[in-house]
Amino acid sequence: MTNILETRGLTKRFGGLTAVDSVDFSVATGSITSLIGPNGAGKTTFFNTVTGLYTPTSGTIAFAGRSLVGLKPHEVTAAGIGRTFQNIRLFGNMTAVENVMVGMHSRMHANVLGILAHSARVQHEEATARAKAHALLDAVGLPAQRADDLSKNLPYGDQRRLEIARALATDPELLLLDEPTAGMNPQETAELTQLIRRIRDERAITILLIEHDMKLVMEISESITVLDRGAKIAAGLPHEIRSNEQVIEAYLGRGAASMAHAHARNGGEPT
Amino acid sequence: MATSHPRVAQGVPWRSIGKILIVIFCVLFLTLPLIEMVKAMIADPQLLVRQLLIGLTNGAYIALIALGYTLVYGIVELINFAHGDLYMLGAFFSLTLVGVFSLTPETPWLIRGPLLVVVLLATMAFTATLNMLVDRWAYRRLRGIGSRMAALISAIGISFVFQNLGLLWGYLRFPFMNGVMGSNAVAPKSFPALFPNVNLLAGTGVRFGAKDLIVVGVSVVLLAALYVFVTRTRLGKAMRATAQDRDAAALMGIDVNRTISLAFILGGALAGASGMLVGLYNGTAVFDMGFTAGLRSFTAAVLGGIGNIVGAMLGGLLIGIISALSDQYISTKWTNAVVFGILVIILVYRPTGLLGDDTAQKA
Amino acid sequence: MQTRIRKSMIGAAFGFAIALISGGFAGILAGLVAGLINGYVVPEAEPLADKRRAIVQGLTVALVGSVLTILGIVLRNVVIDPIIGVPLNLIGVAIAAVGAVLLCVLVSVVMCVVRTEPPARERIGMAIVVGIILVTYPWLDQFLNLRFMNEVIPVLVFLLMALGLNIVVGYAGLLDLGYAAFFAIGAYAAAMVSSPHFGLSLSFWLAIWVAAAVAAIFGLILGSPTLPLRGDYLAIVTLGFGEIVPIAIKNLDNVSLSLWNYPLFVDVDLTGGTKGINPINRPWLPIIGEFSPSNPIPWYFLILGIMLISIFFISRLRNSRLGRAWTALREDELAAGAMGINTVNVKLLAFAIGATFSGLAGAFYGAYISAIFPESFRFDVSVMLLCMVILGGLGNMSGVILGGIIIQFADRLFLPQMSTVVQKLIVASGNESLRDINFASDFRLLLFGLTLVLMMVLRPQGLVPSNGSARVLPVAAGEARHD
Repeated sequence: MTNILETRGLTKRFGGLTAVDSVDFSVATGSITSLIGPNGAGKTTFFNTVTGLYTPTSGTIAFAGRSLVGLKPHEVTAAGIGRTFQNIRLFGNMTAVENVMVGMHSRMHANVLGILAHSARVQHEEATARAKAHALLDAVGLPAQRADDLSKNLPYGDQRRLEIARALATDPELLLLDEPTAGMNPQETAELTQLIRRIRDERAITILLIEHDMKLVMEISESITVLDRGAKIAAGLPHEIRSNEQVIEAYLGRGAASMAHAHARNGGEPT
Repeated sequence: MATSHPRVAQGVPWRSIGKILIVIFCVLFLTLPLIEMVKAMIADPQLLVRQLLIGLTNGAYIALIALGYTLVYGIVELINFAHGDLYMLGAFFSLTLVGVFSLTPETPWLIRGPLLVVVLLATMAFTATLNMLVDRWAYRRLRGIGSRMAALISAIGISFVFQNLGLLWGYLRFPFMNGVMGSNAVAPKSFPALFPNVNLLAGTGVRFGAKDLIVVGVSVVLLAALYVFVTRTRLGKAMRATAQDRDAAALMGIDVNRTISLAFILGGALAGASGMLVGLYNGTAVFDMGFTAGLRSFTAAVLGGIGNIVGAMLGGLLIGIISALSDQYISTKWTNAVVFGILVIILVYRPTGLLGDDTAQKA
Repeated sequence: MQTRIRKSMIGAAFGFAIALISGGFAGILAGLVAGLINGYVVPEAEPLADKRRAIVQGLTVALVGSVLTILGIVLRNVVIDPIIGVPLNLIGVAIAAVGAVLLCVLVSVVMCVVRTEPPARERIGMAIVVGIILVTYPWLDQFLNLRFMNEVIPVLVFLLMALGLNIVVGYAGLLDLGYAAFFAIGAYAAAMVSSPHFGLSLSFWLAIWVAAAVAAIFGLILGSPTLPLRGDYLAIVTLGFGEIVPIAIKNLDNVSLSLWNYPLFVDVDLTGGTKGINPINRPWLPIIGEFSPSNPIPWYFLILGIMLISIFFISRLRNSRLGRAWTALREDELAAGAMGINTVNVKLLAFAIGATFSGLAGAFYGAYISAIFPESFRFDVSVMLLCMVILGGLGNMSGVILGGIIIQFADRLFLPQMSTVVQKLIVASGNESLRDINFASDFRLLLFGLTLVLMMVLRPQGLVPSNGSARVLPVAAGEARHD
């Protein structure tokens, strides 16, 4: 199985702070992979560096065989990586449909002349784009009557869904989701879990997830990588990560690992 | 499998092409004139020194105004567009007081001296209060919300209001003003020559008048006072803390609104002082003098590193010298363009300025 | 019914203001305007489908509008005219009142009925109404002896520029304070090729394209340094450019350029310096012949035509991939980039396209005045344009046009009128110290400045809010228009 995304020694420093520390990371093509770690571990910075928002201090990033280092964010998106943001960054004063259509920007070709002339090609492209946008909204479960609401007026869960639809509109091969279930209740989380699976299964898109909801992570991931203070401390299958001492200590503090073992020995389930 | 994407072309590197073109342009067309300029400077050193001294005086008044920009920007990240016009209002206010006190070149120094000090302090109080009120009534309301554009636009509006104020001021002919204003709003108003114009360096071929000394001297005193205030006093520390991190400062018990007001007060006071000094030095004031002064001072503040107090002083000196040299060796018609060109170059190539840290620009 | 009356106060207020400030037979025009505005605003708040009820709606609305307009006419003639020395003419008042009522009723009813139609036909209907008014206006102006035509044409020029500025500031969110520079550039480019200045004497119709192209190129040039800059710095840099361009124009009347030691050209008079360029070729059309300065009608239709074509193309841009990219850029530049938008290109396009309209306006203006001088292009033009856009509401064309008309009206009509009245009052009171204040010219800066400040503090989304303005500026919720 090939790796759609591979970083070697990826490092990002901000002045004296090393936010991402020499991370070797790979995402298998077609998989659902999770990136976890305590707050401040550098996960979002990692995403930002991969997508071109930050320039890496050192290291390489390979996506489907080509290097992403030095590319601007819009070039990374055009190359096939879509993303959502930790704190939803929708275009608040645009409607849901328009938000999704913005996502299609890099896949559309209308230029100034064509727009001014209102050529048949441009009109056709617009109509197709609009239809596709509606279809995407439908696919993520946004109610049809909300399609023309301003995105800032949408309920929180719908906003998260909309962000995913917008990311899908960029026609990605790899989808980066940054804490997609933050602030969601268990039912919404379950729906989102299903959605993520459907996206991978039906559209053959590889998914890389940053998440804090461990239940979701354990349930859905085929591979988990753990960052702590910028460095990768573990990578592997869910059950391996769950019982990994370093990981437990990263989250719960030193000594927590032995407590967890004691707890398990006594027949309890570590949660 | 998702549709395979065409390889993203690297695209034409416009930025690099642009930069190379600019360098070529400069080399081809600007080197010779620059060399000519340098030769002219060397050929007549007395002239050069005279210009440098003029630059020093310029630098003094520009630094005073620049400090206002930098203090306000450092603390609320607002370019106070109206700041240059405070300088102009300071000039008008001081002129009015000069009229009220009936100061003339014949007034004996025993009276003139203290009264001038009174005028200076009153002017500073006036512009300080004005600046603080503008902040309180306009800018503060726009502070909570995310975008800075609203505050900037209202600053532009206030600038125009101030200019109009200066325009109308020029009409006032109340009897107690003793005729310092005129009947034509747009015409420059004359100050009586209250600063002695004696050349202190007479005989050396170089000119540095008593009035230059006064301007530079007062400026240095004010700048030093400000520096001490900001670095040594508690209120000054509160200002610096608020500039660094407003929320943390609030959590530490600092009254953020009052501290911000303080920045406006101090900045305003300095601008007013500058206006009075320049008015008396040049002997003239006109309602739109704030624009040029504002542009130069803002460039000075950015050159030194916006938000950095010593930077504003250094920038002021540099811009003062540069504008004096440009006036002499290029032409006064082009000096504004030169200063502005420097501004653009700094903002594009080194937005943090000479002494600044990364407060200036972030993606 | 409550809403209906309340909303019709809006148009009525406009009618009142116009009647009060303009005097003479402009009261009739005031009635028309009141009817037009109310015919738009009221059915928006109270949409009806039945034509009969719409007629009643129109009549009620016209009643409110007429009453206030007549009040304005009366106040003007009875209170203000005596102060400024115009003799009271009761017959004139009666004619004005009757005319105002007639036009108000006619327009109100027609608009309300048209608004009952489904959206597509409604738009066409409204366009026809407005079109008829615009096309017949010159003759109405002559008939009523309003003599506004010579003011209307520069107003339309500024409206065209405001629409262009709206692209840069409203759609793309780039605060351009030096926009008047492109007006100057367009005007000079057209002048250089259609006057004896360089020996070229192209026709106006060619010169206007040259102006557009040159302005667009300068839009790219002046826009590029601003690309990495954030809001306030971008504003300052564009402001600086707005200052430098007139300085350069004023001083480029003897340019000598040498490459190392080879003189390329010596003492070339590039821009005419302070004396400007004149005479500039006027447009020529078959049948009408050459446009002359004494007949404003062909000029009026020309600028109107340019404006309508511009509105047409700008709205195409707005509702397209590019328009969405601009809005996304304005909302959240970072996210826009992450969604695949090349922010550099999109910003440059905004500058270039915006500049083009300003350039067109400049070319027209130069031909209209038949001469251009550097003094015509100053910073207060840029700020006035900004006022127009902000007052109306960033990012939607109808708002910009409305805001533009209000600002121009205030600047050209209200201030001078107020000036005459107040001046007479001051002279009558015998106060020496305030004697020389000339309201027309001396309060303009205050007008623009206060507009900006008050709008920001009170209603930042503008008079006609659109979704766009809300993100760039802080907002109180309001109805939105997509334009």
